Amino acid sequence: MAKYMSVLLDDKRMEAIKGSGLEEKIDKMFGGALNAFTLELSDAKAKEVMDAFFTARVDSRAFITDVPIAFCRTLFEEIAKAKSLGDDVIDAVLARVDEIKEAADKESEFLPVPEF
Amino acid sequence: MLRIDTPPPHGGRLEERVVRDPELGKKLAKSCAATYDIKPTLSDGVPIRNVYREIMSICYGFFSPVEGSMKKAEVERILKERRLLNNWIFPYPLVFDITEEELKDLGVTVGDRLLLRLKGKPFAMIDIEEIWRIDNAEKLATKTFGTPEDNPEVVQEAFNAKMPGWVIYKSLNPVVLAGKYTIINEPTFLKPFDRFWLPPVKSREEYARRGWKTVINHQTRNVPHIGHEFLMKDAGFTGDIEPCHGIQVNAIIGVKRAGDYPDEAIIEGHEAVNLGGYIKPERHIVTFTLWDMRYGNPLESMLHGIIRQNMGCTHHMFGRDHAAVGEYYEMFATQTLWSVGIPSFGFPASVNDVPYGLLIRPQNMREFWYCPVCNEIAYSECCGHTKEKQKFSGSFVRGMVAEGIFPPKVIFRPEVYKVIVKWWKEFNYPFCNAKYVKEKELRLEVDLPDMDI
Ligand SMILES: [Zn+2]
Repeated sequence: MAKYMSVLLDDKRMEAIKGSGLEEKIDKMFGGALNAFTLELSDAKAKEVMDAFFTARVDSRAFITDVPIAFCRTLFEEIAKAKSLGDDVIDAVLARVDEIKEAADKESEFLPVPEF
Repeated sequence: MLRIDTPPPHGGRLEERVVRDPELGKKLAKSCAATYDIKPTLSDGVPIRNVYREIMSICYGFFSPVEGSMKKAEVERILKERRLLNNWIFPYPLVFDITEEELKDLGVTVGDRLLLRLKGKPFAMIDIEEIWRIDNAEKLATKTFGTPEDNPEVVQEAFNAKMPGWVIYKSLNPVVLAGKYTIINEPTFLKPFDRFWLPPVKSREEYARRGWKTVINHQTRNVPHIGHEFLMKDAGFTGDIEPCHGIQVNAIIGVKRAGDYPDEAIIEGHEAVNLGGYIKPERHIVTFTLWDMRYGNPLESMLHGIIRQNMGCTHHMFGRDHAAVGEYYEMFATQTLWSVGIPSFGFPASVNDVPYGLLIRPQNMREFWYCPVCNEIAYSECCGHTKEKQKFSGSFVRGMVAEGIFPPKVIFRPEVYKVIVKWWKEFNYPFCNAKYVKEKELRLEVDLPDMDI
């Protein structure tokens, strides 16, 4: 069974994907107040993510949650770069697993302040 | 006949045990037989409680009619039937506990007065009326919160080291000095707490000044998202012949657990709701009480009722899993206490319908969610779109905050979110991390003026 991951999009992120052709794949949440991408992961990719991050779990809707915050940030960066929502994006994120884990180790003490 | 008026304090009169004349304070300090520096209660070296918060809440009248550290007979009666020796209902033992070595070093005995220092300065005193021992702190902890066998109506699981309140009682020192507390050197609150400090005598004055008779209280230990805001607004329609005049937020400020929002963000986040005009300041007031949360769900709700009745509130909102952690208590245990009672805790009827009970009225609420069909923040008992509803899941909201996503208006008001970011910058973290928790217990919420003795 396929697994999913949700990527939330605020105004800043919407700006970053402008003209990428991904706009039409946006899901609306909270009556259109919140935009998100829903990635569908093949079983093999889902397993790679679950294996790489021991906190990760699959919730009742088959969404992978509880991955490091750095994973979510990186996931958006790679989507914006590749202009894709496919398994290739997950590969690109997993290629940066060391960097993500390093940031994740500090996540219990430090999280970068968002700038608006 | 239908009008509801400000209730009297629990026990009939407000206790205020605060000496405001520095000369008298000095004189009292000099009359003390010994001096003791208040220390936090520790578990594995981590502070989990500071008795100074209990002394503050008792001496400023939040816990009226309690006047001090409890005698053995009073603690035993509380554990048996949740009543003080003067019959008024009360949920928890409150004691001033020290070690045997400390007792030996102090050399105090019954009839002595002990000066209590906080942050190195004179703060309060206790008039020792009894010295007794806790034989088995773990047993005391278990009796305080209940067991599935003894309290089958509401306790589902035996308490253990993951329950903060149970750990607090289990970690108490064995010697209890029982007697009345008196604050002899009034502390000043650090920013931003100073502008939210409204102890019962003052809150009653403030309600009267605003012309409020009916006031509904919202308990919080959270930065308010829209679900909280609509709970407050909708519960605010309760009242008598008109909606409640006032909506009060009373935050419980005390020892933090990693992952909680910082106290500064919680209290200013609620203030942002009224500064943003979502509930206008004329109808909304933000206050706090010092207390290290015990997470005793129905028992904690009784304490919440006592605190807010003493403050002058007529109504109190209670939701699902009120002051709960884990699944030790049944999720509606608090509403059970306030609707039909919990006989095994000594309440064959609601705490409003027993002798020496409470007068503040419960408003037992279900939940709020976002419904795209109703196109509003909907009440679960109104909205029939169970398939379309979108809940304000705590982990979802926290994940969004942690990732630095600017939340949409249907989740956080921008003014509230900006408060989160303000304190995130201050502490380099949006939630309480280990560093915050540690530093907070050194800093506490107050400073004390110098007092030369
Ligand atoms: Zn609906």
